[in-house]
Amino acid sequence: MNWLKNQISKEVWSPYVAGILLGIVGILAVVLSNSLLGASGAFENLAGLIGKAIAPLAFNNMYFNFVMPAGITWGVILLVGVFFGGMLGAATSKSLKWGKKDASNSDKQWKRIFGPQTWKRWVLGFFGAILLEYAAGIAGGCTSGLAISGGMLLVPAAFLFIAGMFASGILTALIIYRKRY
Amino acid sequence: MNYVIAAFLGLFFGFSLNKAGLTKYNKIANQFRFTDMAVLKFMMTALVVAMIGLYGLRGLGLVTFPTVPATYIVGNLIGGLLFGVGMALTGY
Repeated sequence: MNWLKNQISKEVWSPYVAGILLGIVGILAVVLSNSLLGASGAFENLAGLIGKAIAPLAFNNMYFNFVMPAGITWGVILLVGVFFGGMLGAATSKSLKWGKKDASNSDKQWKRIFGPQTWKRWVLGFFGAILLEYAAGIAGGCTSGLAISGGMLLVPAAFLFIAGMFASGILTALIIYRKRY
Repeated sequence: MNYVIAAFLGLFFGFSLNKAGLTKYNKIANQFRFTDMAVLKFMMTALVVAMIGLYGLRGLGLVTFPTVPATYIVGNLIGGLLFGVGMALTGY
């Protein structure tokens, strides 16, 4: 029992152990509710819901009616769970920074590369996240929805996506870090 | 009932992501610099475990697979390429 407590309060697990946990969650998602894990799709469902409330005509198209139906879907509820699960994980290792002084930007490496300003991280995060969500929309899923959920069913799209992700990710990191790469 | 399952699974999903350290900028960025392989280790372990479990269960006739993500080569590749830029930039 003590051993389990110690393990749970560790900040970083071996990625293999955490990976096994995620693998089991992925299996259970299919077995229990015949769904696949995913994150980016839920944002599109929510965006559709908001869009239909504000501009019903503009959002009354194929995409938001059939491809990514607007509404509170399984994935949206999953996303809420992910949010609190992440908080729980941080809380158990006492690394939860809610309300702490450097809460919004505490990553040393980030500060070394981009500078100490918090607003920079917010701006970069905002526009970077738009790019992420848009790309996920084109590809049909994000790291969890396509690469992991698709990969575990051996869908070719997942491996194409991973290849593309790494090719441009390495290039972007090279450009940002240059000599510090 | 389905929503309860979703919330519960999401909780464990988020928990495992946090414990693997994938909620941190440096883990994601360093994966693309190949100085920290946690992301790949984590993803591939999850893939292998789920693959074995799901294909085993299907072989026993216990599950049917849900609709799989569609494959459209150009879209998947362009999406992946854009996604990588965003991922290395923001570290999400």
